[in-house]
Amino acid sequence: MGNARTRLTWILILIVGALTVFPVLMLVLGSFSEGLTAFGHFTVDKYVEAYTDPAFFEVIANTAVFVLGTSLLSTLLALVLAYLNTRTDIPFKGLFRVISIVPMMIPHLLFAVSWALLLNPSNGLINLVLKQTFGLDGAPFNIYSLWGMILVEGLLELPIAYLIIAPAMSSFDVALEESSRVCGAGTWRTLLRVTLPVLRPAILAAFTLGIVRSLASFAVPSMIGMPGRVQVLATHLYTMISTGFATDYGKAAAVGMSVLVASVTLIVVYRALTAESEKFVTVSSRGFRPTVIALGRARLPLFGLVALLSFALIVLPVAVLLYTSFVPYSMVPSARAFSLMSLRHWTTVLEDPISLLALKNSLFLAVVGATLGVALSVFVAYVIVKVKTRAAGILESLSYLSFSFPGIVIGVGFMWFFVQTPLYATIWALLLGYIATYLPYGIRPMSSAFIQIHSHLEESSLVCGASPLVTMRRIIVPLLIPGIVSGWILLASMFIRELTLSVVLSRPGTEVLAVQILRYSEDGLWGRLSALGMVMIMISTMLVVLATLVGNRFKIASE
Amino acid sequence: MEIRIRGVSRFYYAEGKTIKALDDVNLVIPANRIFTLLGPSGSGKTTLLRCIVGLEMPDTGEISIGNEIVWSKEKNISVPPEKRGLGMVFQTYAIWPHMNVFDNVAYPLQVRGTAKDAIAQRVAETLRFVQLEGFERRPATKLSGGQQQRVALARALVAAPKVILFDEPLSNLDAKLREETRKELRTFLGRLGITAVYVTHDRVEALALSDEIAVMRAGRIVETGTPKKIYFDADHRFVADFIGRANLVKATVQAEEGGCTVVDCGLGRIACQHRNLAVDSEATLCIRPEFIHPAKGAAPEGGNRIDGRIESMVFIGEAYEAEIRVGTELLLAKIDPDAQLEEGDAVNFTLDPAHCLLVAI
Repeated sequence: MGNARTRLTWILILIVGALTVFPVLMLVLGSFSEGLTAFGHFTVDKYVEAYTDPAFFEVIANTAVFVLGTSLLSTLLALVLAYLNTRTDIPFKGLFRVISIVPMMIPHLLFAVSWALLLNPSNGLINLVLKQTFGLDGAPFNIYSLWGMILVEGLLELPIAYLIIAPAMSSFDVALEESSRVCGAGTWRTLLRVTLPVLRPAILAAFTLGIVRSLASFAVPSMIGMPGRVQVLATHLYTMISTGFATDYGKAAAVGMSVLVASVTLIVVYRALTAESEKFVTVSSRGFRPTVIALGRARLPLFGLVALLSFALIVLPVAVLLYTSFVPYSMVPSARAFSLMSLRHWTTVLEDPISLLALKNSLFLAVVGATLGVALSVFVAYVIVKVKTRAAGILESLSYLSFSFPGIVIGVGFMWFFVQTPLYATIWALLLGYIATYLPYGIRPMSSAFIQIHSHLEESSLVCGASPLVTMRRIIVPLLIPGIVSGWILLASMFIRELTLSVVLSRPGTEVLAVQILRYSEDGLWGRLSALGMVMIMISTMLVVLATLVGNRFKIASE
Repeated sequence: MEIRIRGVSRFYYAEGKTIKALDDVNLVIPANRIFTLLGPSGSGKTTLLRCIVGLEMPDTGEISIGNEIVWSKEKNISVPPEKRGLGMVFQTYAIWPHMNVFDNVAYPLQVRGTAKDAIAQRVAETLRFVQLEGFERRPATKLSGGQQQRVALARALVAAPKVILFDEPLSNLDAKLREETRKELRTFLGRLGITAVYVTHDRVEALALSDEIAVMRAGRIVETGTPKKIYFDADHRFVADFIGRANLVKATVQAEEGGCTVVDCGLGRIACQHRNLAVDSEATLCIRPEFIHPAKGAAPEGGNRIDGRIESMVFIGEAYEAEIRVGTELLLAKIDPDAQLEEGDAVNFTLDPAHCLLVAI
């Protein structure tokens, strides 16, 4: 029994290691090579070239403003929302749950598109309305700017920041605040000296994760930054490998190295912070209901603010896409606009061979990729949770490594690898890349499922006379099913919308939905884009709803 | 069936150190009796149980159940748990949450390939035996703690195991339910006449349930005996102290007189139950609080007469717990709740030599 487990552990280390360490290794080697065809000839030219490029410093400056601004915005908003929800008598608290979950169903790419449709300077809907109403000459807003990027990305990162800060806030022991009040400190002093410092680990964790995610973000920079010629690292990399005849993967690898190092460092910081934050939470969690602060006259205005935010996060993007998919070209909603509505864009898209191919590829990747990803996750999670050897520890670190990999950078690493294999430009290249990059998202639900299965449940089956195989079939697998189902749906819904990795690895013939949407935006075909986007949102939403239903159903059984 | 354990050790390695969870254990568990492994946490009792059932592999030694060797280091025999034909009740009960009561209990028969109608009949019998008739279709996790415990017992019994093992099965129940379930278990096991091995750290549970008790400490068996032997006549100070409250007084052996061993101690010259101890050797005198009956006034006749003063009295419901000062020693005594005594009273009492136990230091 012990030997089989050791062998399984090492096999998994090999597989997961190949999936996660290999692309990084290729990235490193690639950054020291002359070009895709001249792999292996050591040179530092690419580093010199990449880091002495005068445009590079502007890119760095833009990136810094973008990631810091985004994290600041999302963390501050999350902090306010979490405080309002857990500590005040604001009405309709169910709305906060919606804010924290529903935006995840809307792919980032489409969220960015919808804001571009609203606020672009030439025919953005809000700009058009304002111009008409006030007789302005120019558009009052321009989303195609650094500030526009920060606004949109900040809203996108808000749910994640909220999910980190709110639990810490709700388990906060109010006695800490009360004793500060008794000691003579006022409300504001208490907030500054006690509340915020105690919540600091959670706040910093949300901030750090915001930086990592916006650093890796490609949807907003490509959809909003590129039209305004605001380059950040992700789009800088993309430009090197996708435009013009002289694509330079060596230079991209050299730039990617610094993004990767920054990202991995930040994730290490993040994990340390969350560990500390959990420590804080356990100290103070005593089933204590925080006292609720009466907002008084500010109650309704504050609620209005929250309602507006959820409208902007959830209703607006979908509504704009839906509207745009029906009207012939960008126009202000009016009687004429409604009379011109048709299914033209929908039929064009659903008859377009490339869009159909993209749809087929994305569905294939979602179904096959999620199945393989979950199968691998089951074994990895089993070893991580149930086999407590040093090798199992190595596997755990390895399997969470790719959590910190920015998709576009790791895509470049994979490119260096796939180019030397027959996998290049096939759907299998995308499949491998997806599984490698999103493995942590499959392992997480699986390991919490394994943690719930007490070892006694397994052992008592053995004592009852069942062989290990029968025990696996009759006890372990049935108990794992909820975890397997939710892991599968999570991976599938991420794969259906995958953009950052696909944008590097996808080639003619292996288009996927997100890449096709990006192409439509580059060609300015907003109607078709919206129609295809709605298809994507519908598939994605269906999967999330399914996940919730299945999760609820099995929650009762495993109590 | 008899279980013989010979030279069994089990080591754990943690942070570069070796921990001996079991240290050369030799033990014979008699057939068809209730045998308890008793000891504080970390004494190795659960590890020993898991070695018997096959969930852990010892590092040395041999274990046989009946005539079959199930584990032997030298002979390279290792029978996996599912082939040992035992039944076990786990501390957490290990009731499978995705199955109802019937499926939980039927499982051992199903994996053995028993015919369907035979399973139904046998499960019904077993559920009747543990008084869970009519619960077949209930989801097992919706039962109370005591009922879950009986499902676990039924599952362990259903396939007529050679031996049934219990790993602290009552520790998850509240105090009142624990007492009831303990009595039930005693009745069930008494009727079955099966070999039962029971692990607990609760001395009352061990005394009330067992035909025989083995007290463990730091991976070794310290002493084996009937509950009465362990309680009244322990050979080791650790056992005497662990099995119940005891006054432990340092003593020096003086002589052998009239079938008693006489010692000198802080209480004076005391005649004790006979022990083969050399004159002048050191020993510990052990007196249980319930055998000290202090009274005021005229001293009764008899040996081992002691004078003292009540230093404190605490009312605990069914009795007073009193501390009696005798010279430099402070003795704990249990006094009837209606005794006419107060703090500060001068008292005297006599100790029956049969209740004065000498144990090794």
